[in-house]
Amino acid sequence: MCRAAGLGTIDGMSELDVVTVRGLRKTYGTRAVVDGLDLDVHAGEIVGLIGANGAGKTTTVECIQGLRRPDAGMLRVLGYDPVTQAEQLRPLVGSQLQDSALPDRLRVGEAVELFATSRTSDGGELLERFGLVERRKSPFSSLSGGERQRLFLVLALLNRPRLVILDELTQGLDPSARRSVWAAVRQLHDAGTTVLLVTHELDEAEALCDRVFVMRSGQVLDAGPPAELVDRHGRRASVRFTLPVGIPLDGLRHLDGVRDVEWDGRRVAVHGDRRIIAHVGAVLVRSGSVPTDLSVRVPDLEDALLGLLDGEPAADAAAEDELVGGHR
Amino acid sequence: MSTAVGRLVRAELKLMTRDPLVLTFVFAFPVVTMLIIGGSFGTEPDPAFAGVNPAHWYVASYLTVVIAATGLVMLPVHLASYRERGVLRRFAVAGFPRWSFAIAQLVVGLLTTAVACALLLIVAVPVYGIPAVHDTWRVGAALALGALGFVSLGVLLGTLLPSARAAQAVGLLLFFPSFLLGAGGPPPNVMGSALRTIADRLPLTLVTNAVRGPWLGVGNASGSLLAVAILAAAATVVAARRAVL
Repeated sequence: MCRAAGLGTIDGMSELDVVTVRGLRKTYGTRAVVDGLDLDVHAGEIVGLIGANGAGKTTTVECIQGLRRPDAGMLRVLGYDPVTQAEQLRPLVGSQLQDSALPDRLRVGEAVELFATSRTSDGGELLERFGLVERRKSPFSSLSGGERQRLFLVLALLNRPRLVILDELTQGLDPSARRSVWAAVRQLHDAGTTVLLVTHELDEAEALCDRVFVMRSGQVLDAGPPAELVDRHGRRASVRFTLPVGIPLDGLRHLDGVRDVEWDGRRVAVHGDRRIIAHVGAVLVRSGSVPTDLSVRVPDLEDALLGLLDGEPAADAAAEDELVGGHR
Repeated sequence: MSTAVGRLVRAELKLMTRDPLVLTFVFAFPVVTMLIIGGSFGTEPDPAFAGVNPAHWYVASYLTVVIAATGLVMLPVHLASYRERGVLRRFAVAGFPRWSFAIAQLVVGLLTTAVACALLLIVAVPVYGIPAVHDTWRVGAALALGALGFVSLGVLLGTLLPSARAAQAVGLLLFFPSFLLGAGGPPPNVMGSALRTIADRLPLTLVTNAVRGPWLGVGNASGSLLAVAILAAAATVVAARRAVL
């Protein structure tokens, strides 16, 4: 069960840890939604919890916020136990919840006044930064999905929190609004605020997070910086081009890092680790005939996550689609 | 007001003034029905109305219609809507103290009741006049305890019912029989025995008796006042625990 915080520390917890979770377990009925989860968030980091719907991400952060009582495990957030010391903890944490709203008739400016404590003086600045100044007198019910998300972000940041928890932050936002919200999160990071980001948008996690925890069925499958996850679990890099005259196919097969070469007529796809990009490029340059249809595909976090969830690096589906009917 | 309770009360009061359900049921409905029913039986003292002017009987009765509308319709719908839409979770994670929302709802419910009662009396003055109050302290105590009890009951219903629609359905189902049998309908003397037995057991009837008797000088209604005090204490304790963030 959760141990009272403030006195003891948890095994493996460092002084830099803003969030420490050990062996967290939460069940609904007989179904374990979170099952033995360990998590650390260090001061000043942006840490992402990623995974498919139902992976247990939201339940995990709800336990961290003190909204749910864990069945087992130990949690410390800024030194407090979120279950027994929620009153001390909550003023230090800014939260943007996945499923919540404000009263329909509450106006934007009134929401800021309602949620701002006496410590706060930057409500106007936040409204300005998130493009809501013009909507100050608008009722919540009249806001678009993107405006609502931005307002929730304003409210989460109002009281200069030490930890910000953002659950599906950019859900429903158009690309432009997403970019502006991402920029705001980066500003938070630059100002030293610690951010725990829950998302199933992998490009968002890759763009923002220092480290990500990949969850499935309530457990952490792997964790680390996005680039490391990509290295560990990402699919092969692929280089595709029309083979110039004079370059033998066998020559490509024997380049360092090449695992597979597919062809369909003179259209070729070379698969392997990232080194093949340089080696294939060098062969093409040496041949004096660099094809104009050259394309390169490198693994990203989405590839890594798919590889991780699949259990093994899979063949490049896009390349296979391109080469239907081709040869190996 | 910069405390959490103060900020909540201020915001909630603004929202109340924009809520058509509140404006209709708490402010307009009691006034309109009082004007209609109060004018239906003349102004001559009548044995069916314990020997008093029927219009004054209803003026003294309708303050409790306001109390019932606040407790059985306004607050349950308001709170159930908040729970349904995750507003309370947002208050909780934003660091509002655990008791702040319960206290704010109590304050807002009582203030709304007081303003709506004042409006009812202001409208009654030029039309029927306001009957003299025979026992000010008892009337004041009954109104205060009745309002506290029904506001708490409303908060309690709002924390129990699963959605705003359910709260509206249950609230109206409780409100109209209470209104007709316990405050704004026919006087108890003209009811059949079965109907009167039911009416006598309704919480709103107890509040109305505790207000009307000492107001019009037709009995001090000590039993009703005691029952209302017990109701208020019990409902307040349970509702406060249920409304903790």
